[in-house]
Amino acid sequence: MAPAHEQTHTGTEEPPHEGGLPQFQLEYWGGQIVWLLLLFTLLYFLMSRVFVPRMRKVLDTRAQTIADAVEQARRAQDEAKAMAEAGRAEVAEARAAAQRAGAEAKARANAAAAKRQAAEDERLNAKMAEAEVRIRASRDKAMSNVGAIASDTAQAMIEKLTGVKATAADAAALAAATAKGNA
Amino acid sequence: MASPMEQFQIKKIVDLPDFTIPGTNYTVDMAITNSSLAMFVAAGALILFFAFLTASPKVVPGRFQVVGEGVFTFIDDLATSVMGHEGRKYFPFIFTIFTFVLTMNLLGLIPGNFTATSQLAVTVTLAVLVFSLVLIIGFWKHGLGFFKLFVPSGLPLPMVPLLFLIELFSFLLRPVTLSLRLFGNMLGGHVALKVFAGFIVALGGMAFAGGFGLHNLGIAGAVLSMGGVVALTALELLVACLQAFVFAILTTIYLNDAVTAGHGH
Amino acid sequence: MDASAAKLIGAGLATMGMIGAGIGVGTIFGNFLSGALRNPSAAGGQFTNLMLGTALVEALGILAFVLSLVILFS
Repeated sequence: MAPAHEQTHTGTEEPPHEGGLPQFQLEYWGGQIVWLLLLFTLLYFLMSRVFVPRMRKVLDTRAQTIADAVEQARRAQDEAKAMAEAGRAEVAEARAAAQRAGAEAKARANAAAAKRQAAEDERLNAKMAEAEVRIRASRDKAMSNVGAIASDTAQAMIEKLTGVKATAADAAALAAATAKGNA
Repeated sequence: MASPMEQFQIKKIVDLPDFTIPGTNYTVDMAITNSSLAMFVAAGALILFFAFLTASPKVVPGRFQVVGEGVFTFIDDLATSVMGHEGRKYFPFIFTIFTFVLTMNLLGLIPGNFTATSQLAVTVTLAVLVFSLVLIIGFWKHGLGFFKLFVPSGLPLPMVPLLFLIELFSFLLRPVTLSLRLFGNMLGGHVALKVFAGFIVALGGMAFAGGFGLHNLGIAGAVLSMGGVVALTALELLVACLQAFVFAILTTIYLNDAVTAGHGH
Repeated sequence: MDASAAKLIGAGLATMGMIGAGIGVGTIFGNFLSGALRNPSAAGGQFTNLMLGTALVEALGILAFVLSLVILFS
């Protein structure tokens, strides 16, 4: 530490001013204090009136912007969610409507088919009844023919057996009696 | 070799007429000295910085704006964390103190520049300004209740006078320590820088004088001292920021004492 | 003894006040670090208190330093 020692020596041997440290030269204090106070006051007023409000405005604006963006995003998300919900409800409704329409169509088709069937049945029934009537008529006719044939046959058989020419009325009565007995 | 104290010598640059304070016969030498010039430069740099910063602020900040807003929110957070909601009201004062002291500290680190905060007059003025503001706010807000600050609550009665004296003494010591801390840090750092810089010159001279291997030793020593100066400058950069921060934080705490008069947040 | 020699010795003795400041600053930072390693999440919130304590302790060391300079250069 020799150089430092040397320096302190030079410092003590020829002090820059009377009174040691330059900081303790009181004749310079007044000017420094006054200038410092003036500058500080100027700075303080500039800061409190101009700079700090401006900076705070910027920061507040930024915070507001961020909050707005977040709010907007949240709203958009909510909206999307609501939309998705609505879409889902719509799909469900459409499905229900489709199901209803299908069922309706089926019912309608069923009804039409039933009606058609009924009409067809009726027609067929009518035809059948007609046919039956016709059949009965033809049977009756055939039956009466049968009576005639039987009396003819009986007349012929009697003639052959007895050699007597039976009358048609006797033969018919006989035939009717046998028919009744057979029946 | 020049004394390490020579850098603190105040010199007049522009001589202005003396100013006599009205009502007294005390005259103030209003000459622009290198000390007040350093203050002017610091204040001018600050005003330019903030004027430029707030001229066209953008919602999405650029690099320059990030720096300025970083300083702003740093002190804003400090004020609100210590003083709570009251912090907003006193924020401009704390912010002015911090930025002004920081600028004077940093400008003083540029080689050849004068460090205004290494002048006791400057630091004492700032400390007394803070102290008187604390007194004014304290007595204006609480009246004589401000003295409760010196009496911790829940104290047995016989202890009150003793503790009152101790607390009062430490309270009155506040401006002294506040001013001496900044002054001492700046003074010490610059003296150490100057001493190491002096080593470079002395050892370099020894190297040129030569003889008996002193030549090589001188060069090695000078290089080592140069490294020391660089390292010390980096350290002083840290100290300059730290002391400005400490000054601001102590100002905030003292102001908080005045606002709450000792009963908590 | 020469008066200037006494001044130098006095200045040297005055710097001894910095011993206490050194111990104090070391204690503060050491305790902060051990506390911070135990509960790192709470460390950030105590930074202000750390700086405050350091500043208060350092002030005493600075006081000794300034006193020594005053003795040396008066």
